[in-house]
Formats: sequence, C-alpha cells, structure tokens
Amino acid sequence: MTRFHRRPEGGHIDRARQVSFTLNGRSYSGFAGDTLASALLANDVTLIGRSFKYHRPRGLVSAGVEEPNALFTLGSGARTEPNIPGTIVDLVDGLEARTQNAWPSVGFDLMAVNQLAAPLFQSGFYYKTFMGPAKGSWMFYEPFIRRAAGLGAATRAFDPDRYETRHQHCDVLVVGAGAAGLAAAISAGRSGARVFLAEQDALLGGGLLAEPAMESWRQARLAELQAMPNVQMATRCTAMGLYDDNLVVLVERRDHARPDASKGQPRQVSISLRAKAIVFATGAIERPLVFGDNDRPGIMLASAVRTYLNRFAIVPGRRAVVATNNDTAYPLAAELAAAGVAVMLVDSRPTTAAVAPGVNVLADSSVATVAGRGHIQQVTLSGAHRATFDCDVLAVSGGWSPTLHLTSHTGIKPRYDAAIAAFVPGGFAKTHFGAGAVMGTFGLRAAIIEGAKAGVEAAGAAGFATSDGAMTTIQGNDPTYAITVAPPVLSGKGKAFLDFQSDVTAKDVKIAHQEGYQSVEHLKRYTTLGMGTDQGKTSNVNALAAMSELRGMQIPAVGTTTFRPPYTGVAMGAIAGRGIGKHFRPTRLSPLHDWHRANGATFIEAGPWLRVYYYAWAGDTVATAYVKEMELVRRGVGLSDVSTLGKIDVQGPDAAEFLNRVYVNGFAKLPVGKARYGVMLNDDGVVLDDGTTTRISETQFYLTTTTAQAGEVMSWLEFLLQTQWRDLRVHVTSLTDEWAGMALAGPKSREALQLAFPGVDVSNHGLPYMGCLEFDYEGAQIRLLRLSFSGELAYEIHLPADYSIPLWEHILRVAAPLGIKPYGLEALASLRIEKGHVAGLELDHRNTLDDLGLGKMAAKEKPFVGKELRMRENLQAPDRWSLVGLELLEPGKSLRGGAILFAATDEIKGHGRGYITSVTWSVELQKTIALGLYQGGLKNVGAEIICAFPLKDEFVRARIVSPHFVDPKGERLNA
Amino acid sequence: MLERRSALAGTKEIASSRVRLGEVRGFTLTQVAALDDPVLSDIRAVLGDLPQHPFCGEKDGRRIFHTAPHQFWIVGPEADDIGRRLEGMAIVTGLSHSRTRIFVEGPAAPDVLAKVIEIDLHEAVFGPGMFAMTGLHHTPILLHRVTASRFEIYAMRTFAANAWDWLADAALEFV
Repeated sequence: MTRFHRRPEGGHIDRARQVSFTLNGRSYSGFAGDTLASALLANDVTLIGRSFKYHRPRGLVSAGVEEPNALFTLGSGARTEPNIPGTIVDLVDGLEARTQNAWPSVGFDLMAVNQLAAPLFQSGFYYKTFMGPAKGSWMFYEPFIRRAAGLGAATRAFDPDRYETRHQHCDVLVVGAGAAGLAAAISAGRSGARVFLAEQDALLGGGLLAEPAMESWRQARLAELQAMPNVQMATRCTAMGLYDDNLVVLVERRDHARPDASKGQPRQVSISLRAKAIVFATGAIERPLVFGDNDRPGIMLASAVRTYLNRFAIVPGRRAVVATNNDTAYPLAAELAAAGVAVMLVDSRPTTAAVAPGVNVLADSSVATVAGRGHIQQVTLSGAHRATFDCDVLAVSGGWSPTLHLTSHTGIKPRYDAAIAAFVPGGFAKTHFGAGAVMGTFGLRAAIIEGAKAGVEAAGAAGFATSDGAMTTIQGNDPTYAITVAPPVLSGKGKAFLDFQSDVTAKDVKIAHQEGYQSVEHLKRYTTLGMGTDQGKTSNVNALAAMSELRGMQIPAVGTTTFRPPYTGVAMGAIAGRGIGKHFRPTRLSPLHDWHRANGATFIEAGPWLRVYYYAWAGDTVATAYVKEMELVRRGVGLSDVSTLGKIDVQGPDAAEFLNRVYVNGFAKLPVGKARYGVMLNDDGVVLDDGTTTRISETQFYLTTTTAQAGEVMSWLEFLLQTQWRDLRVHVTSLTDEWAGMALAGPKSREALQLAFPGVDVSNHGLPYMGCLEFDYEGAQIRLLRLSFSGELAYEIHLPADYSIPLWEHILRVAAPLGIKPYGLEALASLRIEKGHVAGLELDHRNTLDDLGLGKMAAKEKPFVGKELRMRENLQAPDRWSLVGLELLEPGKSLRGGAILFAATDEIKGHGRGYITSVTWSVELQKTIALGLYQGGLKNVGAEIICAFPLKDEFVRARIVSPHFVDPKGERLNA
Repeated sequence: MLERRSALAGTKEIASSRVRLGEVRGFTLTQVAALDDPVLSDIRAVLGDLPQHPFCGEKDGRRIFHTAPHQFWIVGPEADDIGRRLEGMAIVTGLSHSRTRIFVEGPAAPDVLAKVIEIDLHEAVFGPGMFAMTGLHHTPILLHRVTASRFEIYAMRTFAANAWDWLADAALEFV
C-alpha cells in the first residue's frame, strides 16, 4: 500500500517527458515540471532526512523555499552542493541527490541513539557541558560536536561552474508572480513603464498553481504580460536583498538549462537591479501546528499537501487528517475528498466554517499526539472530540505569516496584526508598495485588486501615469480569513517542535525563559532558533507566541527578530561572480609589459601593478639576480621601467604658486628646464609623498609622485583646487597612463645616452644634474630628466606610452657595447636603500619631515600645506622614531623588515624603540644594511642595538649608522 | 620613425554574429580645459558649438566629449592639429596614449556590457550619441554609444588589457 501516488492526469507536469534521477545511488523517475521533492513524494519516498541534533526521522514539510527538513546534497565531485531544499530543485535528467546527516542510511541511522539521550540535548546543553573542565575544552570538543550534528559537507574542490553578475534597471520591480504580482505587473506594464517581474519558482503563478479553478485566469494574465514588450519576466529568480536606493540583488538559477561553463554559460547570475519603484507581492508562508511529535514524516503543511495534489498531481493514500486553526485548510479538505481520500477535518476553533460534501469535520478539537515513527499512522485528538484516527497524511495549518523579509531589509520593523495573528510590513518607503498575502490580504479577489492598484501606484511613483488599473478578477466574494491561535502547549508527551531544522522545541523556549534569555534576540542565540539555512521561515511566529505566553505578554511586546539578506541561501559563486582568480581585482600593466614578458622578466605584484621583479639574465632566483642587477648599475649601466610613477600635468598662470603651496620647499622660482625634488605634507603636517617636479614652461610643470601614492596625490591636488583655492587658475591632469618612464642609471649612463640620442648634448654642461631637455626623437616627444634614485649618474627618459617599447629596444641595442641590461624592482628598491632615499615603506602617512631627515627642506618664509600642524608638540618631540641606517653586525644572520628595535640593554618586550622598514644586501659595502625608524634617530649613531623578530625567534645585533651608505656627498650623481 | 604600439597589440579581434570586440587604433585624444567662461568662447570659435554632457558632439571628423566642467575631450584622426590650434588659448593636454579604445558591436553588445557596466543601457536612457564616465571592473572608463548596437570604451591604457580580458570573458557566451 503506497502512502502517496501520482494521478494519471492533471497538474503542471509534462508526463511526456520522463526524467530519471538518483537518491543515494538508487534510480527513480519523475516528470519534467517536478521538483526533486515532488518526484520523491510521487515515488512514495517520505523519509528523506534526519534531524540536526536528535537525528529524528524527517519528511517533507512544505513545497517551497521554507522547507526545513528536505535538505539534500546534490551533485558529486567538484559540483557537490550541500543543504539544498529538494522543494526548489528542478528535476533534471541525471540529477544526483543524497540525504544528509544520517549514517549508514536515513532508514537506519546510528546517530539516532541521540534520541535516547535527548533529554540532555536541550538548549544550552553544549555550552554548559563542554566548557569545562579545563580552559580550552570547547576547542577540544567542537570538532566532535560538529561531526555529530550538522548538515551536508561542502566540497573543497574548485567550483567548475561559471557564475556571473548582471546590472539591470527598471521602472517597476514586482517581486513575486502570484495573483497580486501578476496583476501588479500588468497594470504597471500598461503605463509603458519598464517592468521586471521576478519569481523564485520555475513557474509564474505562486499560490495559483495550486488553485485549479484559477488556471484559466493565470493563463490569460500570462498571455497579457507576454504581449507587453516592456515587461520582463524572470523565473527561478529570487530577490535576495533590498538595499538603499532601491537596489535589489536577485539571483537567477539556470541549472535546469545545463549550462556549459566552457561556452560561457553561467549556472547562476547575480543581478543588481536598480528599480524606480517596487511592488512587494511576496505572498505568505504557512505555519505548522505545535504538538508532541509534530515532526513525524507524513505531517505536512496543508498548503504543501494542496500544492502536491494540484500542481504535481500527487494524492495521499486513503486517509487524511487536516488539522487547522483557520479557514484556509478547508479547500484542501474538499479537494482531497473529491480525489477519493477519506478526510477528517479537525478545527481547533469552536465553530467551523462551511465544509464541502464528503468532508467530516470536528470542531473545538486539536491534535494531541500522533503515532508512527518512520511515518505517521494515527492521530489522537484532544478537546471536544478525543478520538483516534488512522491516517496516511496529517495536513496542518497554524495560520499564515506574510513573507515580509525583503520589506524589512532596509530597517523597517514589521508590525503585528492581531486579526491575522501574524506580522505584516511595518510601512513602506515612498516608492515601495505591497499587495496580496504579504499585506495580510489572504483572499484571492482582494489580492488581485490590491495588486492592480499597487502596479498603478508604483508606475506613478516611477513617473508613468496610468489610470488603467482595471483587472479581470474573479466572481464572488473571498471567504473570510478567520483564525484563532490557541496558546502553544509547552509541556506534554513527545517533543513539540517549533524549529524543525535547528531541532528547537517548545520546551527549549521554556528553558531559555527560565534561564533569563527572554528577549527575542537572546532566545534566538541561546536556542539557535531560526538560525538554520531556512532562517526560521516556518518557526518564527510560533516561537514568539511561545515566549509571549511564558512572559505573559502580547506578541508585539516580545518583538520580532530582524530579517537580513539573503532571503534564501546563495551559492558563494554567485556572490563572487567573475571576480575570481586573477580577476579578483584589476591588474595594471606598464606600457613596457609585453617586452618584459617576452624577455625573461619575473613579475611581482605591487599594488594593482604587475612590475618586473628581476630578469632572467641576472639569475634564476631573486636572491641572486637582484645583487647582479645592482652591480650592473653601480659599475656599468642599467635600464629600468619606472612607468608606474605617478605623473601629473600642472598647467595655468598660477601653477608655480600652486606648487609652492603644496610642497614644503620652494617652487615659485624654479627655472624653466629644471627639475626639483619636492616633499608634500597632508594637512595634519605628516608627510604625504615626495617626487621630482620639472618646470616645462612658465605656466606648465611635470610633476611626478611615488607609484604607491599617485592616485592619492592626484585626488589631493584636485581637492585643493576645487575646494580650498578656487581662485588659483590651475588645471591638473593625470599623465600616468599617457607617459612611460625609464631610468637609465650607472656610471656609463651618459655614454649610453649619447649613443641613443646622438644629436642631443647630454654633457654635464648640456644637461646638468636636475636638468631637463625636451626634444623630438623619431617622431616621439622625449622628456629627458637628469635625476637619480640609485645615487649613480642617472637619467629618466619619459615619452608617450605607445613609443616606449621601440625606444627601450633602441637604447638596449645601441648601448649593448657598454654592457647595458635591464634591471627590475628589487634592484631598483635596493639601490635606493644604499643611497638612503625614503620610499613607500618609510612614507607611510605616520612620519614627519624631521622623522625622515628632511626637516631642513621646509621653507621658513612661505606658507605651505601642513606648515602649522607639523609644529605640534608631539610631532616635534625629540625622542620620536626617526630615520636611521643600520648595519648588520653578525655576518651570516639576516635582518628583516618589520623587526622591532631595542637598545642593547633593553628587555626584549613590547613595542621597542623602533622598527626596520627596508633591508638589502649592499653590493657597495658587501654587508646587509637596512633603513629603519629609531627613537631619537641619528643621535644614536654608533650605538649597537638588537633587532628582534620574535615570530621567528630571531635576535640580531646591528649598529646605527647614517642612512646614506653610498656616496654621501653626491659626487657620482653630479659627475 | 618610432612605431606606436598599443596596449592591446597582443590581442586578436573577437567576432561572432552576435558580438564583435576589437580595438580602434590611430586616433588623437586632446584634452582642452578652460579656466573661465570667456575662454570657452574662444574654444567655441575654433571648435564650433560645444556639446553638453551626456551628448557627444561630432564635427569635422572629430568627436567631442564634455568630460568635466569647462573640460572637453577631442577625439580626432591620427594626425590632428587641433591641440596646436587651441594652444595658448586654453589648457591643452595630449592624452592620445593614455586611453585604449575598445569597441563592442552587434546585437548582443548591450548584453555583454550589462555584465560589466553598472549604468542603464536602455536606448531610451542611454541612446546613440550619448556617453558616460563610468566604471569597468573597478577602473574608470568613458563609454560612448555610437549607434544602437555599437559602443566604444575609452579605457585607461595601463588597465586596457584588464578591461579587454573582462569584456572578452563577458562576451564568451555570445561567441
């Protein structure tokens, strides 16, 4: 005898298309249009899982997203996806499903012994039991607890499917395509507004899909909508969250279409939809009744039984009991009777509503106990009729909770409506509207009228006037929705579950209350109520009712929990979209990148940039290569890509005055054709950036910044011009992308230059230190600057980016007899350490001019940004950590960036007296050197200190020296 | 003469019946900015009527975009003397190498762009001849709708390869 079977006809399934699938390796078949849940039910598979904590046998409760029990692990290998409610899974050929939280099988689950110890596992059990006896006990027990309780296991393999993001815009978004949503979309669509109708289900219709009498109405409305080109309808598309400015994030699922990632077909698409107005037509979710053993397989929501009956053509065996506290379960009883099922309708209210012929009804009676473990077999009533009935299914209705989650995402608290014993939206923003069951309107006719009205209003709010809210509706009046909620039974035989998924019972709420966890938020966290993947969609109101009963208060006084996005579970892939792997963030490439890649460069990430770390000609590892590249520059000539430097065009009659205010040193009198090193402070008086700026003409400067601060300096200059000094006639433009830069450095760099640009006078006279020449070379505008980062005789060649590779190749070719080679970032950065130039590691927005040994640069006569605030007492304190050089005193050991510095006599504890910022091997001195910040700075020259790196247990001696390790008098760069 | 080499020199055009993705090379981009209103009149004397954001002006084979208050981008042919003609009158900055120009064309072009650009691309909102300063994968771009089914993106040169990869990936399902 089967408990459930498929009818030969009816329902929204395609019997011509048979679909095979497996559950735990066993093959079954269903039809196109089935969900995994309906197909299992049609196959009479009713035991589909074990509960979270007690491992109790569980079956389907619902037919929708609220399903707490029927969670499956789908797919295999890298496509394994756990905890998916079978009620939302489209049945497709080859679908592999597995039950969860049971071993060896759901029918015989060893962990079901937990049920014997069940009295122990009440709320707070884990916290009370596993916190002792020793400190850290919880850490010890946790993995065992997690293994025993729980859901499916995720795979660790890389998800092979493709997920995408899409940006969409519309005038009116209608969330939910039930009666109210369809009406709203039509009336809004008639105005000409762009309408987006989002439905989480595979079919449009919502509750109508379980209302055979409404099918022609539904079809007619769909035809109307399809005829409107301005209406876009999306199925399997769930509105997950509502954010500011009417941004709604929806996730569209396409598993049913078998997407092929290699062809760019996404499995899921996360849609960021910006709507001018929104109609919430999200419906309502039915609540279970609370009684002992109310979780037995075969006990289902009345709405679910109705959906399985009408949408999926699945009839429960021979006998059904329908238990309710409201009117909405009555049609089900009538339909079951019409389908040949013996129906007993049990209503807890003293007076019943009218019943159809063939339905037996008992008023003033409730379910007291049930019998049957793996499946319900008997129902025993309490109240006026204390009878016992055999049954194959017990359909329960504890009333309806409007699906108001989205409406409260932006912070609007729901409001309790005693008439329907449920929460309704607490209000709407100006462009938000609600219609149908979400508003507590449970009649179909009323929902249609309300939907049509909301559509007109939403279109109006989006700027589309329409008066055409006329809607074909249904004849006759809606039956009234009357509900009387009996106080929940908090004690008695058998566990009375409130939250099936988290295994929270009425008794747990009682314990929480006794122990003082009476606030809704405390109740939730103490008992884990509503914290499962279903987020308490079926349990919330029943739990509040229990707590309000215990506290002797009304539900509104007890409160409701806060709903947050997402409304239902979202795959991590859908959140990431295509921002994965190297596209996690954008990559920035130098105009010389292609040459580097083709010529043996190893790259390193520097912020968004991919820079050359070192070249293969110098070695296989950075440790050997950068030393060779440094030697090249110190002894011969090298060429390095410095295109990443920030470059800014500063133009206008007041350009010199502007820079004079921005830099701490003078720029007003910089002659045309000359460059100057400048430092700028932020308005706190702390160093912002440094760089070289060249005067191109009386009214034009070419400003360079460090690579790291390029964007910040550009914004800063724009900010100053647009808000502080609007009177200055200056315009700034970023040239970082327009101009490439290359550094030509080393004692032979002048010779190389002469070979590269034979007609240009690059002698010490023609191009002195800090000089600039502008000329045209083979059609390219060249800015040749004589400046040095390495401390050697050196030049920077700047030119429009598209010409950079040809010029770079030209220089390497003509200067080849000099032994010229390219050098990378590690050598570049190490050369400047030897020279004692500060860079990004020292310019960290915490140091003052004096900290960096640059105090003498500050002009006394002129004002500049940060001038006053840099004089603050703390910023001028004599014992501030300031720039020093360090020499390693223990050959064979190493210094590390970030090492904490201590005086030789200090106890190695706390933050020390400073830290190391930059370390390198000095090819010049043949020893390890470093730059660092140390309390009192250069007053300590000669002192021996300890460099501590406790994480590696390293304690190394070093000596404080001048940071200028190489050519302190600057003879080389002036040569 | 040195030969120009684009940031996308190593990429190949992508083409299908639904979408075509490629680069427009050989153009001059000149930025002209006026420090005050009278200078705008001088610029008008050279360029003619100036377009107002969000409409792109087209005249004498040049496109003019109003990119900021008192600031315009002039996109002209590879050899364009417009910068020299405006020199001295307004603030002129050559930006021809700073932007890489990528076109996305075909019936699926709006669908490709909807995956990567946040603005509303509906023709009634962003029609042919309009442009927007917007973003693509965290980087700023100028997006110009040339016709209903052709868009041109001016991406920062140093992010051009990144933009290309991102667009090519978005176009994959239409290729």
